[in-house]
Amino acid sequence: MADAMTMSRTSLAADRPDGDRSALGRVAIFLLAILLLAMMILSMTTGASGASASTIIGGWFGLVPDHAEQVLRDHAVIYNIRLPRMVLGAMVGAALAVSGLLMQGLFRNPLADPGLVGVSAGAGLGAVSIIVLGTTMLAPLTAFLGLYALQIASFLGGLATTFILYRVATRSGQTAIATMLLAGIAIGALAGAITGVLVYVATDSQLRDLTFWGLGSLSGANWTKIAASGPIITISLIAAAFLSKGLNALTLGEATAAHLGVPVQRFKLLTILAVAGATGASVAVSGGIGFVGIVVPHLLRLVIGPDHRYLLPATALLGASFLLLADAVSRLIVAPAELPIGIITAAFGGPFFLWILLRKRAAFAW
Amino acid sequence: MIDVHALSVSLGHRQILHDVSFSAPPGAVTAVIGPNGSGKSTLMKALCRDYAYDGTVSLNGHDLASLSLVQAATWRAVLPQASSLPFPFTVREVVALGLTAGRSGLPLGMVRQLPDMALAAVDLAGFGGRYYGEISGGEQQRVQLARVLCQVWIPVLDGVPRYLFLDEPVSSLDVKHQLMIMDVARRYADAGGGVIAILHDLNLAAMYADTILALRDGRVAGFGAPGAVLTDQLISQVFDCPLRVGVAPPAGWPFVLPQSVGRRHASDLNIKVA
Repeated sequence: MADAMTMSRTSLAADRPDGDRSALGRVAIFLLAILLLAMMILSMTTGASGASASTIIGGWFGLVPDHAEQVLRDHAVIYNIRLPRMVLGAMVGAALAVSGLLMQGLFRNPLADPGLVGVSAGAGLGAVSIIVLGTTMLAPLTAFLGLYALQIASFLGGLATTFILYRVATRSGQTAIATMLLAGIAIGALAGAITGVLVYVATDSQLRDLTFWGLGSLSGANWTKIAASGPIITISLIAAAFLSKGLNALTLGEATAAHLGVPVQRFKLLTILAVAGATGASVAVSGGIGFVGIVVPHLLRLVIGPDHRYLLPATALLGASFLLLADAVSRLIVAPAELPIGIITAAFGGPFFLWILLRKRAAFAW
Repeated sequence: MIDVHALSVSLGHRQILHDVSFSAPPGAVTAVIGPNGSGKSTLMKALCRDYAYDGTVSLNGHDLASLSLVQAATWRAVLPQASSLPFPFTVREVVALGLTAGRSGLPLGMVRQLPDMALAAVDLAGFGGRYYGEISGGEQQRVQLARVLCQVWIPVLDGVPRYLFLDEPVSSLDVKHQLMIMDVARRYADAGGGVIAILHDLNLAAMYADTILALRDGRVAGFGAPGAVLTDQLISQVFDCPLRVGVAPPAGWPFVLPQSVGRRHASDLNIKVA
């Protein structure tokens, strides 16, 4: 795989001797939009029940009048199970991939990822606090926030960890990779320890909720979860779209970005908020799904280059497609049961991450 | 016009710059010279607002401290000492980053070609498709200069002069490209823009600068025309080392000076001398 990647990278650059990859970026976004559409159809037509979207569509046009009962059942499966799952999967995939990309831009480091550096653990701690303490210690908070309690707690957990990480790992605009990864491990471990205490004191029914939540799965998708997480994810993704020029400038360093006219402090704050929002809302509904944020941006950077104006939408589209594909695989591989989706993404992402490390060790002193 | 009055900078408890005052008019190249640790880069960083300072700096009559980032980016572009990039940008993409918020001053239709024009100006035509991480250090420095040129391509915009702040622009370049880059700076000034450049090479400063600011221990040790600043006594004192100006070494010792070819302000460096 490494050879093929290196080759495609070289040949793509050679195709454009002037080094302008913007046309390539636009084509890639178009193709990825088609891919996402295909993955949405795949997601809608894959599952334990034999429900098929074509029966439903046929039902709309009165083409299958003899199977009214089956149409009703399929209708329920499609609208109440598969459609919310597809929508949630696409949203979470886009959010995870984009928050990885934003962190990599913020830390000027291709290895930054909310899952790796403890941000997801912090968001998880927020979510677990609500599940375990939501009826006792944090009851006023849950009552006040209602539907959004889990999401907002996750967001705050992610926000706190990102801030701490940034303060620890970055000194006068420079981030040392070792410091960042080690600080991330420490912060993740701390969040994990507190989460462990909460799990220890949890009641049996809370434990059941925690297990469902923590599997890293889309299996519990429903419209309520979409109503709770969807707006936060949407806002974060829209905010991210306005960050792309600043992220490009930031690759030259904070001082140079400011010289180019980017309001660096405000920009970093907005980036951290978007990361925390996207990560928090995803973690709140789907637990820990790892590696999407590192695999997707890295693959796309190899193909279309690091210009965030194209990389950002492409990352959102491929992230959504990747998670829908992983979810379809997780439903098919041990059907009629299903694997937690986190296993699929980790099984693909772990080796991929090692490959990046090996390649960088050989070629670049990033 | 850039006016610096009573500028002082402290980092931590140590005061790096003491009461520095000078002015850099448009249409001129102002060279900053001085030994290591004399405060040259600190001065540059203060002029870029990277460091807090006491005193006043004004840019085109506006107090620098209250200038918006975008306005500052329109009036001056900054070449840093060294730049590494964490992601695999092509050379052209790096140059195009100069267009982030500044105004090149060109009509929209020409802005698309601007990165290529800027690359040609630093003798890197055809390098656009190369990866930034895979070219030499000297070439990277010239790519960064091309990026800086993109930001303020037209030296006078809306009747207001613009400035290039160059922190050691030629420190890792071969002699031909040193001359070529200094020619770019010279032409920028001749077209009405201003240039402030930190230089280590006293011969280049003598060749290209209209005014030289000599710093020692964070204080102004000399400020004026090259002939007035580059005197035996002053530069020996500034650099704490015996130096002679305009005296050939004892017979038989080779020495190499671009000035000797009589090519100040020469326009075409691609003439093959050999």
